[in-house]
Amino acid sequence: MKPKNQRLVLVAAAAAAVLAAVLLAMWGLRDQASYFYTPADVAAGKAEEGRAVRLGGMVESGSVRRQPDGVTIRFSVTDGQARTPVTYRGIVPDLFREGSGAVAEGRVVKGTFVADTILAKHDERYMPPELGNLAAERKAGKTLQR
Amino acid sequence: MHALANPARFLRIARPASSWLLAIGLALALGGMAAGLLLTPPDYLQGETVRILYIHVPSAWLGMAGWAGIAAASVSQLVWRHPLAAVAGRAIAPAGATFAALCLVTGSIWGRPTWGTWWEWDGRLTSMLMLFFLYLGYIALGSAERERGGEGRVTAIFGLVGAINLPIIHYSVLWWRTLHQGQSIGVTGSSIDNALLWPLPLTMFGFTCLFAAAVLMRMRAALAEAKIEARQRRMTQP
Amino acid sequence: MNPWPFVIAAYAVTVGTTGALLMWALATMRRAEAAAEALKRR
Repeated sequence: MKPKNQRLVLVAAAAAAVLAAVLLAMWGLRDQASYFYTPADVAAGKAEEGRAVRLGGMVESGSVRRQPDGVTIRFSVTDGQARTPVTYRGIVPDLFREGSGAVAEGRVVKGTFVADTILAKHDERYMPPELGNLAAERKAGKTLQR
Repeated sequence: MHALANPARFLRIARPASSWLLAIGLALALGGMAAGLLLTPPDYLQGETVRILYIHVPSAWLGMAGWAGIAAASVSQLVWRHPLAAVAGRAIAPAGATFAALCLVTGSIWGRPTWGTWWEWDGRLTSMLMLFFLYLGYIALGSAERERGGEGRVTAIFGLVGAINLPIIHYSVLWWRTLHQGQSIGVTGSSIDNALLWPLPLTMFGFTCLFAAAVLMRMRAALAEAKIEARQRRMTQP
Repeated sequence: MNPWPFVIAAYAVTVGTTGALLMWALATMRRAEAAAEALKRR
C-alpha cells in the first residue's frame, strides 16, 4: 500500500473510532442531558419531591387561573400523556400563553410543581400574524412531543 | 518547487475572487438585512423579535461550516499533504470563531424577549458554546505549533477530532429535550412561511461570500508572510 | 417588552463584528503583500 493510502486508512479508522465512542457517550447521556422533565416523568416519580428540577410541556388550554392575590398563577402543563399542576408567583414572559410551550424551574411539592422561574418555549414554525391566528385556532401541539 | 506551484496557481484565482466575493457578499448581506428589518411581516407569536432570525441563522451555519472546512483541510493535510491545507485551516479559524460568537450573542439577545432568559444550559446552547471554545483552542494550538516551526499536524488532528461536535450541535434538539426549538429548515421543506423566509437565502448567501472573502484574504496574507520569511532565511544564511 | 432594542442590538453587533473581521483581514493582507512586494524589488 502506498503511504498516502496508508495515512488515509489510518485517519478514517481513527475518525470512525472517535465518532463511535462519542455517539455511545451521547446515547448514554441522553437522560442526564435532557433539559427538563415532562409531566409523564413527574407522574412516574422520576422528579424527586423537593429537588430542584425543570418541567416542560404545553400550557393546557383554558387552565391558566390568576389567583386573587394578583401575582400568583396556576395552570397545568401537559405532554399529551399526563398533566402536572403548576403554581408560580411572578411575571411570565410575553410568549407564555395557553396552547404554547413552557419550561418551569422549581420543585415538586405534594404533586404540584412550585415554579421559581417560567420560560417560554416556542416551536420551529414562523409565519405572519394572519396565518398564525388560523393555526393557533387549530391549535398546534407538536413542540413538546420530543 | 511542487510546494510553490500550487500556491502560485491558487493566488491567480484568489486575487480576483476575494474582491468579487467581498462585493457580492456586501450587496447581498446588506440587502437581505434591510429586507429582514423593513419588508417582512412580524411573526404571529414573537412579533418583531423574529427579525433576528436573518442574522442568527447565517451565523450558526457559518460557525458550523467553518469547522467542517477546518476538518476537510485537516484531512487533506494529514492524508495528501496538500501544501495549502494548513494555510487554509488556519485562515478559516478566526472567521469561524467570529461567526460562532455572533451566533451565541444574537441567540442570547433573541432569547431574552422570547424565552425570558439570556442563557440556559440546554443541549443546543451548550454544544454551540463548545464549538466556540474549540475554535479558540484550534487558534491557540495552531500559533503555538507554528512558533515552534512545526507542520501543524497536531493542530490538524485537533481540527479533525473537533468535528465530532458538529453532529452533536445539529442533532442536539432531536436527541435531548431542549429549550431551543427544533430544526426549521430541512431537506424536505421549511416550517418558516414564505412571507418571512425570503430574505434568509440572501443573508445566508451574502454572509457566506463575506466569510469566503475573509478566508481568502487571510490565506493571501499567510502566503505573503511565508514568502517574506523564506526570503529572509535565504538572506541571513547565504 | 419592546422588541426593537433587542433587534437593533443584534443587528448592530453582527454588522460591527463582521465589518471588523473583514477590515482586519483586508489590512493584514495588504500589509503582508506590500512587504513581500517590497522585498522582491530589493
